[in-house]
Amino acid sequence: MLEMEAVQQRGFRNVYKNGECIGFQVAYRSTYYRGISLSLSKGFRVLVDGEQFPREAITIIYEGETYTQDELTKAGHVQWQLDEPVILNIAKPGGLKLGVHVVTVNWSHRISYIGTRPGDPEQTPAAELGGPGPTGSTLEFGGGNVTRKLVLVR
Amino acid sequence: MKMTRKEFLQTAAAVAGAIALPGTAASAPLAPQRGMDEGFPASERKGPKRGVSIYSYEHEFNVSATLEDCLIELSDLATPGTKIGLEVLANAHIKNYPNPSTAWIDDWYKMLDRYDIIPVEYGHWVDTKLYSETRTIDTKEGVEMLIADIKLASRLGFTRARTKVGMQGGASMMVQTPADNFFEIIKGALETAQKHNVRMLTEIHIPTPLKGPTMDKYMDFITKENTNPWFALNIDFSVFQTRMGPQLGDHQASAAGGQAPHAPPWMGKLPLAVPEDMISLIPYIHCCHAKFNDMTDDCEETTIPYPEVIKVLADHGYNGYMMSEYEGIDKLQGGAWSAVRKQHVMMKRLLGEA
Repeated sequence: MLEMEAVQQRGFRNVYKNGECIGFQVAYRSTYYRGISLSLSKGFRVLVDGEQFPREAITIIYEGETYTQDELTKAGHVQWQLDEPVILNIAKPGGLKLGVHVVTVNWSHRISYIGTRPGDPEQTPAAELGGPGPTGSTLEFGGGNVTRKLVLVR
Repeated sequence: MKMTRKEFLQTAAAVAGAIALPGTAASAPLAPQRGMDEGFPASERKGPKRGVSIYSYEHEFNVSATLEDCLIELSDLATPGTKIGLEVLANAHIKNYPNPSTAWIDDWYKMLDRYDIIPVEYGHWVDTKLYSETRTIDTKEGVEMLIADIKLASRLGFTRARTKVGMQGGASMMVQTPADNFFEIIKGALETAQKHNVRMLTEIHIPTPLKGPTMDKYMDFITKENTNPWFALNIDFSVFQTRMGPQLGDHQASAAGGQAPHAPPWMGKLPLAVPEDMISLIPYIHCCHAKFNDMTDDCEETTIPYPEVIKVLADHGYNGYMMSEYEGIDKLQGGAWSAVRKQHVMMKRLLGEA
């Protein structure tokens, strides 16, 4: 079983390599009503205590495989199961301090059965972090901005 | 009809599993049945029948309820001596979709037996925007996805698939028409659908009325290509909705704490259809979505004219299931369990089961 919120408390931790802290991880479950291919994602954005991380700093671990955000758009045959969160791996030398952090994750995805309209771009962008949600061009589906206080212990 | 031995065994096992009653050994494998009203056990009542899409419990699933919990809930809704119909969303409810383990499938059949459940409809999608907002996937890839789902639906005992292939929009959100290669993709899977006894049903859902250009496209294809029942219709009762439910926004956005995009464009244009519009379509309707949004404690629905809808279905020979699909705003706070129960009290009364 998972936590109700998309952003999961379990799995929030710093990441160490050769004894050095190189970043942190946070797990995110899809709260959409069905599982979808990873390639339908428009991408993930992460904000921690007001610090927004660049797209390139975020990789996505799913079932042991690591994807860059660009690789995610090509993973058409990988099903993101509803009972399996993705782990967002965020590069941040030194990691996060122990204690409470305000974490926002933004995720959205394309939806095939709501028609594209003339003028829609081939790749609609993900919603802005902290923005109103919908892009205005097509309906924005997905979690939008989910903000939670998470506690880092390691 | 050519089938590999493996396919035959899978199909036979699925059919046998689907109709096995508790306490009776499934003996000789049964061939897939054919025909307009077939695929349900003889013990089931004639006319409209009750079922549930466990999509209704989306906010409980994986959080406070397992698949088995959902099926136990359904067994409370079955009339003793009959079974309750089940719809799953393939990529939500099938563990490790599209490749469930054989152990999972064994458990699946045991649970269907234990909880008085008949698998009816398998909800699935051909995501035509798999790689791009504007380019649809090619027909070959679409057909492969569709065929894989039909085979899996059949392995799990389903006789109907709510087949959702991508749509394209016009200048307005009110006009949703099938994607360019929609019908080519369907054509590529018709033979497989027939071979595995799975009817591909396109869902007619708000904002598409039962009379209009989109419906004409479906009916032209169905009649010209003689696809019935292997490609036909699922009617979602949202088309009969006379008003929006309480605080109805975009439930997915709201569910996740996001914001509803905007008021739906069909607001102010309801209802899009009346129940009588179904009469000429009955031979093509092989499943319905009993969409509902608001149940009173008197077990009445306030947004859709259920007495008229069920009367039209019953009076005109509809012999399929109506699968509950709850979209009331209180489903975000655990309201789905009681809402579905209330809706089944209502349907039992209207069907003369109570």
